Amino acid sequence: MEIGSGMNSRDLDLHEGHVIEDLRNSAVAGLPEPSGWLTEEIERNIITTTVDKFLNWGRKTSLWTETSFTACCTFEFISTSSSRFDIARFGMEVLRSSPRHADLMITAGTLTWKMAPQIKRVYEQMAEPKWVIAMGACGISGGIFADSYSVVPGYNRILPVDVYIPGCPPRPEALLAGIELLRKKIEKRSIAKGS
Amino acid sequence: MTVGLDYNRIIDVLPEDLASGAVAFEAHGLVIQPEVLTGIAAFLKTEPGLELDYLCSITGVDCTEYFEVDYLLYSLKLNHRFTLKVRLADRSEPVIPSLTGLWLGAELQEREIYDLLGITFSGHPEMKRIFLWEGFSGHPLRKDYGHGH
Amino acid sequence: MLSEFSLIALFIVIVLGFAASLVLIPVALRKLGIVPSQPSAVKSEPYECGLETTGPTWVQFKIRYYFYALLLISLDITVVFLYPWAVEMQNLGPAGLVTVFVFLAILAVGYLYAWRKGALEWK
Repeated sequence: MEIGSGMNSRDLDLHEGHVIEDLRNSAVAGLPEPSGWLTEEIERNIITTTVDKFLNWGRKTSLWTETSFTACCTFEFISTSSSRFDIARFGMEVLRSSPRHADLMITAGTLTWKMAPQIKRVYEQMAEPKWVIAMGACGISGGIFADSYSVVPGYNRILPVDVYIPGCPPRPEALLAGIELLRKKIEKRSIAKGS
Repeated sequence: MTVGLDYNRIIDVLPEDLASGAVAFEAHGLVIQPEVLTGIAAFLKTEPGLELDYLCSITGVDCTEYFEVDYLLYSLKLNHRFTLKVRLADRSEPVIPSLTGLWLGAELQEREIYDLLGITFSGHPEMKRIFLWEGFSGHPLRKDYGHGH
Repeated sequence: MLSEFSLIALFIVIVLGFAASLVLIPVALRKLGIVPSQPSAVKSEPYECGLETTGPTWVQFKIRYYFYALLLISLDITVVFLYPWAVEMQNLGPAGLVTVFVFLAILAVGYLYAWRKGALEWK
């Protein structure tokens, strides 16, 4: 349903309600981790391997995070990005609000069903290659709010997640360990798969 | 420290028709009928010596047998406070007058109470849900809103 | 004598080549399959913090910008004419100085007119 300029406030509310109900009804199971390419045997030659190494090095050392932070885990991310835990040594000090510029979405915070269509849309508007880190208990499974009437039980209901970092909130060291796991995962990409 | 006003002081200055709406007393508050709510709130807001002109918050409570709506009123100039409580026995269709005519800040708080508890505020300019979405069935903060809704 | 500008010509070629490569390299990488390309309907829509846009996104251009463009042209061209004078200032002597000040005075009148007429107010 398109939003036209003639819609009044009540119509906008109804439209929003439909979007949320549709999303909630369709998000019944967790989406699988995007790693099908890891198990396939791929043909690689010396050129592809060199290009792979270069591209993967470039991508993993300059992950730009999309600022779509919803709740408390944001503060642990803020701690990680300040001088003591220094995320800048991984090239990640850049935070972009526009999804066109970003390639990593760190889900720092609880997601409610009301916010879910927005986060999903922001994820879909990010350009490939893109990755998602589910940070904290609320990102993995809804955390202590898992049974709530308004909380999405884990971001993997609506987005495919690459790395899960447990904690409530995870300490900056834990977040950095999760980022390191993601970097190892990025190293395994190959252009021979067309990814 | 903001001083809590004694209920006696309020009862003494309330006009007859409004004072008849008080059903119970608390240390720094009054329990009143919903019909006199707007009258008493307007009186407390403008009466010199009281001037409770700041509506700090409106809270809705589900006390199982009845609903209760609490209004915390503060006076910024005279540095004292008072509480008004309204009890609604009708659990199927609870209605209470809205205070948006006196305080604009009541608008969003009343929408929140409507959204989560289902108490309708008559005279509210836009009585609709605020945290949950249009189409959500039920009012989650009611005590009888169960699992597996 | 044209050979004096050979370096400038080389500079122009490099600049044009750089600008073209900025556009063509991503297209080439996409055609070769080295970079991923998965366009979708939602991805092509304008970004509005995750919301669907309400109404048209191409809004009317503000006429106020036209005045700023006019002022820019006049004052920018002033600067362009001042540069060659500044290079040859010593050789041109006092006559040159007076000429330049007359030129600046004419432009200042135009600028003052725009200022008093309120073209610089943001409405």
